[in-house]
Amino acid sequence: MSGEVVRTEQLGCCYREGCVLEDISFTVNAGDYVGIVGPNGSGKSTLVQALLGLVAISSGSARLFGSRCDGFNQWGRVGYLPQSLHLLNPIFPATVAETVGLGLLSLKRFPRRITRQDREKVDATLDTLGIYDIRAKLIGELSGGQQQRVLLARAMVNDPELLILDEPTAALDPETRERFYRMIAEINRSRGVTVLLVTHDTGVIGQHATRMLYLDKRMLFFGSFDDFCHSPEMSALFGEHSQHLMCHRH
Amino acid sequence: MDILEILSYGFIQRALLAGVLIAVLCSVLGVFLVLRRLSLIGDGLAHVTFGSTAIALAFKIYSAASLLVSLPVVLLASLGILRLTEKARLSGDAAIGIVSAVGIAAGIILASVGGGYNVDLLSYLFGNILSITREEVLIAAGLFCVVMLLLGLFFNDLLAITFNEELARVSGVQTRLISSVLVMLTALSVVLAMKLVGIMLISSLLILPAVSALQLARSFKACIGLAALQGCCSVVAGIFVSFITNLPTSAMIVLINLLFFGCACSLRRLLTPGNSN
Amino acid sequence: MKRRVILIVLTVIAMTVFVLAGCTTEKAKPSTKLQVVTTLFPLYDFARTIGGERAEVTMLLPPGMEPHSFEPKPNDIIRVSKAGLFIFTNRYMEPWAGSILKGIERKQLQVVDAGQGIAYMKAAAEDEHDHDHGDHHDDNHAGGMDPHIWLDFGNAALMADNIQAGFAAADPANATYYRANAATLKVRLTELDQRYRAGLQECATRTFLHGGHFTFGYLARRYGLEYRSLSGVSSESEPSAARMAAMVRQIRSSGVQYLFAEELLSPRLSETLAGETGVAVLKLHGAHNLGRDDFQQGTGFIGLMDQNLANLQKGLACRVK
Repeated sequence: MSGEVVRTEQLGCCYREGCVLEDISFTVNAGDYVGIVGPNGSGKSTLVQALLGLVAISSGSARLFGSRCDGFNQWGRVGYLPQSLHLLNPIFPATVAETVGLGLLSLKRFPRRITRQDREKVDATLDTLGIYDIRAKLIGELSGGQQQRVLLARAMVNDPELLILDEPTAALDPETRERFYRMIAEINRSRGVTVLLVTHDTGVIGQHATRMLYLDKRMLFFGSFDDFCHSPEMSALFGEHSQHLMCHRH
Repeated sequence: MDILEILSYGFIQRALLAGVLIAVLCSVLGVFLVLRRLSLIGDGLAHVTFGSTAIALAFKIYSAASLLVSLPVVLLASLGILRLTEKARLSGDAAIGIVSAVGIAAGIILASVGGGYNVDLLSYLFGNILSITREEVLIAAGLFCVVMLLLGLFFNDLLAITFNEELARVSGVQTRLISSVLVMLTALSVVLAMKLVGIMLISSLLILPAVSALQLARSFKACIGLAALQGCCSVVAGIFVSFITNLPTSAMIVLINLLFFGCACSLRRLLTPGNSN
Repeated sequence: MKRRVILIVLTVIAMTVFVLAGCTTEKAKPSTKLQVVTTLFPLYDFARTIGGERAEVTMLLPPGMEPHSFEPKPNDIIRVSKAGLFIFTNRYMEPWAGSILKGIERKQLQVVDAGQGIAYMKAAAEDEHDHDHGDHHDDNHAGGMDPHIWLDFGNAALMADNIQAGFAAADPANATYYRANAATLKVRLTELDQRYRAGLQECATRTFLHGGHFTFGYLARRYGLEYRSLSGVSSESEPSAARMAAMVRQIRSSGVQYLFAEELLSPRLSETLAGETGVAVLKLHGAHNLGRDDFQQGTGFIGLMDQNLANLQKGLACRVK
């Protein structure tokens, strides 16, 4: 796999209340692991939602796999783990297996049926993520970390080429978080899956991501973690001490 | 009174048949509607039907033909509810409230403008489960087949949008289309079934079996199945109990549904002692 | 955004103007005649006859509406308060009449309870055939009395007297005129009564089965018929499956060929019973109210009752003289 997976040109998301994103231009190649970081309200989630066509783009352009995001339909190539976990209805009666199975719909055409092969695939994915034993539980009964993994399984079950994760570790304790990052890195390395990961753990993501995108309404930095650590703009932004802490945690 | 004698009456046979078909239909739709927070859509659309029947009667169109006026109006109203929740960012209950109030208001205004009717509007609007004709059993069967077929074809899409609309979109589900299919199937069922069994029964069958099933179900498919089962049993039991106790049939069916709901709640408590807080 | 606000404001203004315009045209022509407001159709018809051209009689109920589903609207209360004479059937039929009157200054308003002095019948328990306890009051009107007094034509004549007295009190100058009209009406009611007596004398069956709410109790009693209705005295009550079955057995065992149905309400239940037993459905008009077309054609109470007589004679297989 090679070539451009994501490409934006002067992307802007401006609404009646003002601009959330302005003038964002970057390209992500196949196999990249991009950490999207920035302060709260910097438009990180809006950026990935714009790429997925979930929010409207007001200027510029964004493309996934070469086709425009607003008319994108090759959903089988994409897996998405949303930030808004808490929006899941706790009384929703779906089992873990049923929930993960929904991720396979992107590979199907009308009428979308879940076959036995699909169920096997779901089981295999659950096994990979170490949650096979809870497959028959209702998602409402799980802990935050388990739910996160179920949704990750849902995002991965269709073997996507691009995985977009929005704050996947928000509900996790530090130890689980660490394991989670290692798992994503492993997926990126072994399967060549392109990863866009939104987070505010700048330091942690730096250990794994191949590229960093620092966002604060505008794109202030896009490049490797090393460059990020030695960028004078970033030291001006954070102060040298914080930058040092972020870049040399281990 | 023995069961064979009860079953010997044609109107009881038709009530059982059409009642069970409509109950299953409503219960299954109800699971999706309750989870999408559109539980009251049955009542809302009934009010719109009232308004649209007023239009039909003002033009002296009676009974069967009035459906030709009601059906498109109610289908549009159901889509209107959906658009209100999307565009105006209203919650489902508020959107339903708006549409239902407008429906009633339109009916009342038309009634005063038209200077009255030749018949009593409300009595023509609402059917009674005990007065179902043979043709209406066929209508119920046809409706059942259409709704079940479409639910079957779109089952996973419906499950996906009910679970989470954003995720469904990113899975390539055409969320607007599927939501529209859901509310339009509901509208179709409400308009037709209301003429057959009355609105009280429809709106309670849209809610009660679904909420009971949500108490107990261990998977989504089981939830659908439990809801359908309760709907079905409540109608059969309701008709027989109404026979034995000499009380109105529809009201009895509603009460039996409530009883099932109570049982489901207590059973859930018993099964999950740790979660009772 | 601004444009939308302006649009909404303009629409609201336009609608207000429209509504106000509609209101003003309504009250354009003041009349010097006695203004009479009645509730149900029999009263309207009697008052129309007694008032002749010296009174303007209107009916509160919109045409086609079953009186049991009626509830007065603010405008109705205004109409009553502007009238010189208000006539209602009785407190069992219109329990809301009292509450309307409470809110109205009654200095110039004469109120007539048309049922004054009439001996009321107890509303029969709908299902005494099945349960012979006689203490079923679940579906009854307020007070448990049958309010359909006008269907006994002797009572109807008394109602005419009550109405005439009201007219005379509200408009003493024309009292003799009203009295003369009332006398004519009573003669016509007596003739109607005689036609019924003669017409229902020799019938194959005297069992009179009705697939609606309990309406014709007075009529049945006066002419010696055995009357059974599907529902109780209120049209809102819903029959149980057992009651339907009992009615089916009753139709079969009595061997009648016809089942009678309500005039304004949907005849679904009657049709179901008829289909079950293979009898035919005949309409019988309780005269609570008229449909719009009948109302516009000026159909009268006595004409309706003559239609009923024809249907009764057909349904009970009476010899027509």
